[in-house]
Amino acid sequence: MIAALRLLPVLLAIPFLFQQGHAQTRDRFDHWQHRDLFPKCTSCHAGVQDQAQTIWPQPAACADCHDGVITETVRWRPPSDPPATNLRFTHRAHAEAVGRTTRADSLLDCRSCHAEPGADRMQVRLAVAQNCLDCHGIRAPHLEAPDSSCATCHVPLAQAVRLTRADVSEFPVPQSHNAREFELEGHGRLAKGTSPVSAACATCHARDFCSECHVNAPEVAAIQALAPDPRSLAIESKLKAPRSHADPAFLRRHGSDVRQPATACATCHTQESCLACHAGKPTVALALPASGPGRGKGAVIHRERPASHGGDFADLHGPAADARPATCSGCHVRSQCLDCHRPNAADAAPGYHPAGFLSRHPAAAYTRETSCADCHNNGQFCADCHVSAGLSARGRLNAGYHDAKGSFILGHGQAARQNLESCVACHSERDCLSCHSARAGQRFNPHGPGFDPATLRRKNSQACTACHGALIPSSPGQ
Amino acid sequence: MTSNRAAVVTCLALAGSASVAGAQGYQLRIDTRAQTAAYRGVRQDSVLANEVVTAPTGGLQTADGFFVRCPPGSTFCFFFRPGAYRQGGPLVSSVDLTMWGMGVRGLSLRVNGRAGVDLGESEVWPGTEPAVQLLEAYAEYAIRRVTTRGGRQLLANRLGVVGFDGGRAILRAGAGLEAEAYVGLGMARATALPVSSAVLNPLDDFQPRERQWVAGGAVGWSGRRGDVRIDYQREVERESRQFASERAAISGEVRPLERWSLAAGVEYDLANTWFGNADAALRYVSPRITVAVGARQYRPHFDLWTIWGAFSPVPYHAVNASVWLRPLERLELRGRWERYAFSPTETETPLVDVDNDGWRFGAGASFSPTDSWTIDVGYREEYGPGASSHGFEGSVSVVPSPRITLTAYGSTLDRPLEFRFEETGVDVFGVDAEWRPTARVRLALGGAHYAEDRRRPDASGFDWNQTRLNARVTLLFGSGADHAPLPRALRTRPRAGS
Repeated sequence: MIAALRLLPVLLAIPFLFQQGHAQTRDRFDHWQHRDLFPKCTSCHAGVQDQAQTIWPQPAACADCHDGVITETVRWRPPSDPPATNLRFTHRAHAEAVGRTTRADSLLDCRSCHAEPGADRMQVRLAVAQNCLDCHGIRAPHLEAPDSSCATCHVPLAQAVRLTRADVSEFPVPQSHNAREFELEGHGRLAKGTSPVSAACATCHARDFCSECHVNAPEVAAIQALAPDPRSLAIESKLKAPRSHADPAFLRRHGSDVRQPATACATCHTQESCLACHAGKPTVALALPASGPGRGKGAVIHRERPASHGGDFADLHGPAADARPATCSGCHVRSQCLDCHRPNAADAAPGYHPAGFLSRHPAAAYTRETSCADCHNNGQFCADCHVSAGLSARGRLNAGYHDAKGSFILGHGQAARQNLESCVACHSERDCLSCHSARAGQRFNPHGPGFDPATLRRKNSQACTACHGALIPSSPGQ
Repeated sequence: MTSNRAAVVTCLALAGSASVAGAQGYQLRIDTRAQTAAYRGVRQDSVLANEVVTAPTGGLQTADGFFVRCPPGSTFCFFFRPGAYRQGGPLVSSVDLTMWGMGVRGLSLRVNGRAGVDLGESEVWPGTEPAVQLLEAYAEYAIRRVTTRGGRQLLANRLGVVGFDGGRAILRAGAGLEAEAYVGLGMARATALPVSSAVLNPLDDFQPRERQWVAGGAVGWSGRRGDVRIDYQREVERESRQFASERAAISGEVRPLERWSLAAGVEYDLANTWFGNADAALRYVSPRITVAVGARQYRPHFDLWTIWGAFSPVPYHAVNASVWLRPLERLELRGRWERYAFSPTETETPLVDVDNDGWRFGAGASFSPTDSWTIDVGYREEYGPGASSHGFEGSVSVVPSPRITLTAYGSTLDRPLEFRFEETGVDVFGVDAEWRPTARVRLALGGAHYAEDRRRPDASGFDWNQTRLNARVTLLFGSGADHAPLPRALRTRPRAGS
């Protein structure tokens, strides 16, 4: 009995050791304080050597001393469930394996695993991972051990059925994962290092985890070799864009890049990635998987302004759009253009123009800061409103509306040739023909610089007849 | 009332057809906007010449204080009284529908229409007749090398925006080469109505009786370092078989170095044998700074069925520059400048001095002290033949939650008109609120007060204040993977000083 009690501290440590297989060093039972009571570990933990016995001491054994008289009672019960662990370990199997390898019953005692090197017999703790590594010839600290060594002690996550999602979320990060290239190319090389997938990856990860980023997971053998396990999502996946994506020119260049075999793109992008920006489905997008059941969301694309657009592109986009309209339509749908470039733009809310533009439109329109006629029909929009406002010249010319210039009529020719579109917003052709006609009125010649009568006559002689009737001269001087 | 009912029925019909259609995917956006606005123009009047009196300023005026103009030898003097107070209440509903996946890969349908009525007493808002207007309604079949469209469609290129009912085909030959051809019955410029529509002729002017044919084509090449495109377009009157217009244009952009681009283009009027609009701009773009310098020519284009081209409108030539800076992450500065001068008109007279050049200038800044707040201020000034103006603008926007945007804005404007003695000062103060309760619904309300002071020393110098209200509802319906609404291509409200 006493021997069993002496083993109690060691065995109490076992469930905590196995619980997660990492970083468990705290021992709830103070073995050191009981060092004189238990000469052998198996006194309490007989099951370590004898499978017929339990690995835990009976609580009644504790009560021999902790009876409330000699010392206070303790309320301890051995755990009823197997330990929650991902360790590939039982004492018996381990002892057998050691025996097969060393051809001896065992060279190990409890301290070999449960105490720091050189520690006293009862200065025990949960199993010291470094001791495991040392025995197995792995010359590195636990979390810096080569990834290929994980499976030496650990089972795949999917087999560690007693671990909870919370347990998984607290898995420590191996040092290898902090390498600069690990998140991008590095982890892929490791995963494919052994066929079909590295057992090291399976220690902590399952298919669900990989599928979070790898939208082509159903087509990747290494990922499919992993078992599905939603607990693996407890480890947060951080999708990191490749360095090439940080290039300012990437946004413009990715179209031609992606025309190469799109295998690399298909790792993180579904067709929906393209559709986040591109209107319609580009042909190249068909090479990417479509999102759906069994696939993660992959890279989430947020539409952003291309570097080529700059901060004031809205004001300057016209010439570029004229030169390559197909490029614009890659991202912009027609309704976006029509929000501003809509014919008959007599809308009912602020839009292209700033608030109060109606008040200042004469200055912008007189010399056509931009081409008003692209969106506003002169007759339907400008003249219609000006007629309602009494600004049209119906009935009488030279009534003095342009009263800021004395004798404006004498200088109106210059104003008209400079701002003819403004004139016709209030004046009709008949207003001008009352003087500028070859058949009536003052017969003032309206033709000015650049007038090409021969070509104009050839293109549309009817315009000539408005002033000249049937007698169209062959040159403007006639 | 009939037109109102037609507008409402049309909108409901379009929405209903979209929701019940068997298409695999569709996207439908319905914008409904309403506004109240008022204006007060002028009314021409006359008075017997012997009834005018001398004004305190030394001129002549009517007995009730309106300055008059008395032509030599005329028994009447003329003047303009303030016009009637006119109230407009436009209600415009736009429908934009795209449907695809109807059993034939590459086939899609698109409809863009508008129904509008003026609910104001005066029915003065332009563009609300006819009540229902169809901007686009076409079927498109697109495969890797070819895109074809049939129906009513808008065509936008360097020659402008033209609508037509017809067919269009685009061939992509590979290596960036593209060719395009189209033909159809055209619409009038900048409208969804045929040129023969009565509402396009409020001045009772010359007007064709039939729609014109529109035909044209384009070839283009697009590469990594540049693009070029050549457009040709002709419009031919059906009745007379004569040209309404014949133009060609070339546009191009080269990107010789990273961040640098040179875009240029010019249009040529084959009927008038002159160059129309042309421009060239050199740009440097980086995340912190964008600089552009350019030159351009502007010359108006008139259809040949008008006589205006025979009056030889002259172009102006301009040089301009703009800069956009982001010295701090939350601060943007911008400035624009342009100077222009008209070509000689050969009509100059020493009797009347009319400017032949002018300039424009604008500067502004946007500052976002936090992610939620944006302060925007700007100043702009322009002076040119005919009119000029200058004034400050500013706005403060706050986003108290991701779904709500509140904006308060104001502006000042001084508007001296060169050809009309009517110096005007306008101060505007307004607020806008936008609420996006879901990704598919957007509601907006706004109001602005206009305080306008017409600074005349006679009876026409009345103050004219008004308050304008506007409301907007945008609904998005859709299916398919790309149902998420895309952001607008342009800011709704242009930035101050721009």
